[in-house]
Amino acid sequence: MAFDSQKVALKYFVISAIFFGLQVIVGLLLVSKYIWPDPLIGILPFNTARAIHTNLLVVWMIFGFMGGTYYIVPEESGTELFSKKLANLQFYLFLLGGLVGVVGFLFGWTAGRPLLELPVELKWAIVIVALIFIFNVFMTMIRTKKWTAIQGLLLGGIVMLAFMWLFGIPFFKNLTLDYYYWWWVIHLWVEGAWELIAASIMAFVLLKITGVDRQIIEKWLYVEVALVLITGIIGTGHHYYWIGTPKYWLWWGGIFSALEPVPILLMVFDTLNHVKHKKIEITNLLVLYWAVGCAIFHFIGAGVWGFAHTLPVINRWTHGTQVTAAHGHLAFFGAYAMLIMTMVYFALPKLKGLGQFNQKRGFWVFWITTISMVVMGLAFGVAGVIQSYMQRGLGMDFLTVQGFMRPWFMAVFFGGLGFFIGVIIYIIDVLQMATRRKELNES
Amino acid sequence: MGKKAASNFFIWGTVICTTVFIWLTIDTHITIPKRTNTDKLTDEVVLGKRVWHNHNCNDCHTILGIGGYYSPDVTKVYSARGETWLKTFLKNPESPDPQRRKMPNQNLKEDEIKKIIAFFKWVDVIDTNQWPPKPVAEAKMIGAAPKETLLGKNVLAQYRCDLCHKIGEKGGTFGPNLTHVGSKRDTLWLAAQIRDPKSHNPNAQMPAFPQIAEEEIHALVNYLMSLK
Repeated sequence: MAFDSQKVALKYFVISAIFFGLQVIVGLLLVSKYIWPDPLIGILPFNTARAIHTNLLVVWMIFGFMGGTYYIVPEESGTELFSKKLANLQFYLFLLGGLVGVVGFLFGWTAGRPLLELPVELKWAIVIVALIFIFNVFMTMIRTKKWTAIQGLLLGGIVMLAFMWLFGIPFFKNLTLDYYYWWWVIHLWVEGAWELIAASIMAFVLLKITGVDRQIIEKWLYVEVALVLITGIIGTGHHYYWIGTPKYWLWWGGIFSALEPVPILLMVFDTLNHVKHKKIEITNLLVLYWAVGCAIFHFIGAGVWGFAHTLPVINRWTHGTQVTAAHGHLAFFGAYAMLIMTMVYFALPKLKGLGQFNQKRGFWVFWITTISMVVMGLAFGVAGVIQSYMQRGLGMDFLTVQGFMRPWFMAVFFGGLGFFIGVIIYIIDVLQMATRRKELNES
Repeated sequence: MGKKAASNFFIWGTVICTTVFIWLTIDTHITIPKRTNTDKLTDEVVLGKRVWHNHNCNDCHTILGIGGYYSPDVTKVYSARGETWLKTFLKNPESPDPQRRKMPNQNLKEDEIKKIIAFFKWVDVIDTNQWPPKPVAEAKMIGAAPKETLLGKNVLAQYRCDLCHKIGEKGGTFGPNLTHVGSKRDTLWLAAQIRDPKSHNPNAQMPAFPQIAEEEIHALVNYLMSLK
């Protein structure tokens, strides 16, 4: 850690971890509702729980991104943050917004659009938070003497993130148009803006732990994000096959989204290559595991699982089934959850000035969460294939088919239970590091 | 390739793809009115969409294949179930079988039900490029009930016949036991009985069900006839 103001990142990381835990608890509740009769149907029905599950996901990840950004920007810009006060204010406003949103859902205060359930008032409040964040980051960056690609793409990512959010705010009379722009938020976040942020954060971590020449790392960063956006922007079309949009999207969406795994595969090679040509000894082995694991899991979850059902001939049968849930869980975990954990395990010890820290627990988190998520992803996947075959292929009744899928939801449940244990250890680890008194051996 | 070339690749790649995407978006906007019949997108349909949002239906059900996967897709619910079924179901969606997944009663008002049905009716004819696809084969499993029997069971569950009538082990004792009704009555008698019980017995306690649609009565009677 080079600058004192980087410390604001700490509270972002802590809240991010706690919300992660809450998300997983609600996830366990959701899968229980698939398996057993639902005693909570009057208090917390499936739709409310799902809104909470997905919104907590978005909130904890954005907390993670913001924390990561506040850690990276001063160091990249070679200056203290423009305003530590604003960074703190923004933290509390975002926390308040998230909590009001979740509590609101419990009382039926909802906009009723999946993943964008936040009521319009709260959506505008989030815009204000985003503006404060962007302003603070930008004002810090312009103090820099030399602009770096990491800075530029990180800023680009957060501006794009905020900009796409705006398309989720209006009410659309036409359901087709509603979903057309809904994907501008959902897809262009996870296959656009978030990828920019994640790639920049990963480049920064790799730069720091491997000591590879900045020119090389940044060159590949450009190539990767270029390919991400080239395939990802028009790749939005893979959501426009069946929603009332023109038929040519089957071609545009099919071809471009089929290429989406390319940049992700490049990231895997790139990461391994940087590690192979490292200039300095990697002391934080845990971060290395998370970084390499993230690249590989990102490729499997987003690349392979995404490709598996992106072509129209397959998507026709799998669209709207648990196949999507399998992909969603694997991809979010591989691409973003693991990235944030990489960042946290890199930055947290440095923020606390811990030259050495006990990595044992972190390795437990790594293995438990990744293996559990593989179990969950596979189980969701099998359930999805059963559903596609029986319900779409054979035209069987929805609820009858759900009965056949039940054993696989049990597998999801047990995978989820394992995952939850991993996340609990993660939260304990983060809290313990974050609350530790500064030690003498400054890094 | 140097870093400069890489950054140019990034900038131009993004600019070109964004331009193509915006061009496709404009064309999509031009095409959508015809594909979604915007001339039929009345105020009532829009209000129905609001009802759909207000009750957060989309986090359990998918529509156009998007949303929660907990409950059936409703894109084609209007043509699959019909207006009468929808009206009755939306008024009281509780399933009589406690072991099955059920929909909580949303306590919709009469006019809300009317509006949301108008919304479903509009959604039903959106040109979705033939999604959901027609099944490649009808399920034929040994021991599985034919489709019409399933529908008949649904109607039976819908109108809560089980409150008064016993079939097998389940059901009330207020009305006659229906376990072997198929060997006692014929199709016409059953259909007339359901529509107007007083046609057979002026003192009948069973309420009339004139609101059940023709095809539903047909399915229900077929199911009852299978109970030998």
